[in-house]
Amino acid sequence: MDQLGTTLRELFEKRNLSRRTFLKTCATLTAILGLAPEMLQDVVAAAERKLLVPVIWLHGHECTGCDETLLRSQTPLASDVLLNMISLEYMDVLAAAAGEPLEEHLQQVMQAYKGRYILAVEGAVPLEADGIYCMVGGKPFVENLRQAAAGAAVILEVGSCAAWGGIQAAKPNPTKSVSVSDVIHGKTIVKIPGCPPIPEVLTGVIMHYTLFGKLPPLDSVGRPKQFYGNRIHDTCYRRPFFDSGMFVEKFDDAGSKAGWCLYKMGCRAPEAYNSCGNMRWWNGLSYPVQSGAPCVACGANNFWDQDPFYERLPGIPVPQTVANADKVGLITAGVLTLGVAAHGAASLIQSKKHAAEEEEKAKEDEK
Amino acid sequence: MKTKPIMHGYYVFSPATRLFHWNLVICIFLLFFTGLYIGNPFFIGSSGVEPTYAVNNLLSMENIRYVHFLAGYILMASLILRLYGFITHKGDRLFPKFWTRGYWDGLIDTQLHYMFLRTKHKPYLRNSLARTGYASVYGMILLEGVTGFAMYAMIRPNGAGAQMINPVNHWLVDEYMVHVIHHYVAWMIMLFVIVHVYMVFRADVMEKGGETSGMISGRKFYEEEPVDHRDLGE
Repeated sequence: MDQLGTTLRELFEKRNLSRRTFLKTCATLTAILGLAPEMLQDVVAAAERKLLVPVIWLHGHECTGCDETLLRSQTPLASDVLLNMISLEYMDVLAAAAGEPLEEHLQQVMQAYKGRYILAVEGAVPLEADGIYCMVGGKPFVENLRQAAAGAAVILEVGSCAAWGGIQAAKPNPTKSVSVSDVIHGKTIVKIPGCPPIPEVLTGVIMHYTLFGKLPPLDSVGRPKQFYGNRIHDTCYRRPFFDSGMFVEKFDDAGSKAGWCLYKMGCRAPEAYNSCGNMRWWNGLSYPVQSGAPCVACGANNFWDQDPFYERLPGIPVPQTVANADKVGLITAGVLTLGVAAHGAASLIQSKKHAAEEEEKAKEDEK
Repeated sequence: MKTKPIMHGYYVFSPATRLFHWNLVICIFLLFFTGLYIGNPFFIGSSGVEPTYAVNNLLSMENIRYVHFLAGYILMASLILRLYGFITHKGDRLFPKFWTRGYWDGLIDTQLHYMFLRTKHKPYLRNSLARTGYASVYGMILLEGVTGFAMYAMIRPNGAGAQMINPVNHWLVDEYMVHVIHHYVAWMIMLFVIVHVYMVFRADVMEKGGETSGMISGRKFYEEEPVDHRDLGE
């Protein structure tokens, strides 16, 4: 709790870190926040003056994968993020304490920083049967969330579960899991989807708010533009292979070895908005496409129901099997062509018959 | 010896609509086949060539996509021509008039005929079934246009086009769904084409009214006055 009421600069001083280290950190931050280099001065000024914002991190219906990724945050380092940069006041999975004292602490923090803290929510909100599918501290998660959201300045939906409902919302969604913004209304909510989201994206958003006191520009669904503004497809280093028509056909073919485009392997990058292509993971080391696996657009709404993941388009459930749209289309077109041909033949026969009858009738009339 | 009946010509289609129609034919075929390739690149583009050079190949993904987008733009632009015909010429405005009794009578009449339960249907400028079919294919083309541009605009997510049309991507669950819808509707349009071409040739053979040439000359011919002749305002 000692970070509260301090600035980033003071923290660095307290830890005997040099001014040089402080400035380097600010330069890194400027880059992560997607700001122009000229903005460095503003970032430094803010880091010297702005007090750190307390963060409360709640866990709902999820797998803690987003925590795992946050711990692997490289720039800024996870330890830095947790201990220095954001003042993480409550996070049940990383707290040393547990049980009642920790819940007590949560209540105190919410009281002490009412209206000022950032609420990061990880996980979906199950609503079925009054929310009993996810209980935290003996209460349904949805109640905890409502209580914590009431005093939050900003709510961050961390990960695809919080942002869209996530994998537990997959058909038939037995727990009736929904996103945080389906439950909480009238609050500023930022979506940081991904399964998991890139940790630098999350810390970047928190730092942006801490330093400038406002949120970064958001897109039409509420995702920060600087991180979700581009398709992975458009930032992918394999893109030239796509444009040239050079595709991996099988995971073990020569094209795959040569690093060709994974489009035919079901890559969803053309519909995936995320920073994987430019920021990458683990300090810029790699990302799914680079490792040879097609993107599944894990930051997109409903991605979990768009299977099979290793095909370009989802299958059409035909009894006994799952067919592909082009095959169904082709067969339907074939059947239809035969159908109209048969109809045409039948029409001709009918018309001939009719003409013959007319003639007969005309003859009879003449008589 | 039966005498040939005297046929009367009715000026149905304006030049704008005729031009639009044949442009549509070209564009839809281009769009459909390039679209099939874009959805599933079924032939090997290049191998043994660096993508830097392979991209210039005639049938590279880049070029096929270019043709697709170009045809899409031309089709959408030609809708202006159609709109012009729609406004200036009555024959270009053969709506399915659900609110009239004539529409429903015509529907049953043609339906029974196509099911071989009636030897002949009454003469129409355009029968109710066809009117419904054309209205729905216009709907499908518009849907293809909207979904197509919704995907296309996202090349520049901060551009003006994306600002306008991106909400579509979110109304329809997500952009991936937009791809799926675009793909399925394309197939439905193709199925329409099969039925449409058949019906036109059939009408030409059975009724000898110059159905096919009507889209070139603008005139259709009838022995008797078509039931819906009032739609031409003559």
